[in-house]
Amino acid sequence: MTNWTDLQSCRFIEASARERAIGLVDEGSFTELAGPFDRVTSPHLKLLGDAVAFDDGIVTGVGQIGRTPVFVISQEGRFIGGSVGEIGGAKMVNTIKLAIDFHDELVAKFADLDEEEKPMVVISFETGGVRLHEANAGLLAHAEVMDQLQKARGKVPVIALIGSKVGAFGGMGFVAAATDVIIMSEFGRLGLTGPEVIEQEMGKEEFDASDRALVFRTTGGRHKYIMGDANFLVENSIAAFREQVSALTGLSIEAFEEMRRIGSSAKVKAQLRAVALAAQMQPGDATEVWSHAGNTDAWGLIDLPLSDFLARVERLSV
Amino acid sequence: MALHTLELDLAASAAKVTLPAPSHTGVTGSSDLEIMLTPAPLSGRVTVKIVTPVTGFDPLWARVMQKFLDETGLYDTAIEINDNNATPAVVLLRLQQALAAAL
Repeated sequence: MTNWTDLQSCRFIEASARERAIGLVDEGSFTELAGPFDRVTSPHLKLLGDAVAFDDGIVTGVGQIGRTPVFVISQEGRFIGGSVGEIGGAKMVNTIKLAIDFHDELVAKFADLDEEEKPMVVISFETGGVRLHEANAGLLAHAEVMDQLQKARGKVPVIALIGSKVGAFGGMGFVAAATDVIIMSEFGRLGLTGPEVIEQEMGKEEFDASDRALVFRTTGGRHKYIMGDANFLVENSIAAFREQVSALTGLSIEAFEEMRRIGSSAKVKAQLRAVALAAQMQPGDATEVWSHAGNTDAWGLIDLPLSDFLARVERLSV
Repeated sequence: MALHTLELDLAASAAKVTLPAPSHTGVTGSSDLEIMLTPAPLSGRVTVKIVTPVTGFDPLWARVMQKFLDETGLYDTAIEINDNNATPAVVLLRLQQALAAAL
């Protein structure tokens, strides 16, 4: 069996979906729901003659961090790029729904509940979005997850963790953006259209997906942190992500609302100002925006150790 | 071109070990596989169910599985495998890992 203590120092980027799920919550507290032993595999892949997985590439369950019940969704990038199909999507939707129902039940029963005792949802993203083999069901699943995020809003905080190999792209990039808080490592990548797709559609002159440095300073954690798309930037270990989630337990729902990047007319206006800035600057590289944010040595930020980066970086304010 | 399912009923040359509890190991990644081991009262035998996109290698699967059973002496177990084009060497390695994790 997987040793919880060993998992803590495990590099987040290389950890499997199940290792992340187990390691993010307190030792021994994770209970998997609709796990591999339930053997719910994709009926679509079977018909197409493609390999199936007992958990359809998504680990869902519940555990706790301190006194906080934590509902965990963790995507496995090694199974068809972490793509979301009908089964995995349903698992995501129902885990969030379970957290909301649990919240409502708790609040109805116990009037004097601490914030710390109310449930939260943590989603560890590793996906390119919809599974094309079952695209209609997968898209519907995305819409249903979005619907649950809206239902959770103002009740159950939803935290996105992005630090796995595949990143969070495609429709799941939208879903990540719609959560309350985004925690990334510098190796996490977040975006809508992935680098390879941009290159394929717009040409290598527009975006060279084989240029890893370009990919990371355009979609990576450091850039997203400067832009304000990510709320927190942490070290590349399960323990670091866990500590940041733990630091958020017990916060009021208003504090979570404040950390959202979208979702109110004030936040939409700020996003529009960022779009106007981009139109005005026409930046040829992310570092130009970093300079605009007040970083005199923008290129120097790239190779700084994370702690120095966090101490020195200026974040964009629009 | 639906997925290929192969079912085998085998026995180790000498029964030595069985499992305390069901166990699941691995991810159906590219050129990889996941393995579920479940203890079952099979009078010392082992059933194997392999789900794979690969066809035409049934005898090779049977040989790899028999080699694993002879090496480990596993008995009274149901083995279920979701395969995604793993090579025989990877299959054998993953089976050994799965057993080590289950014991």
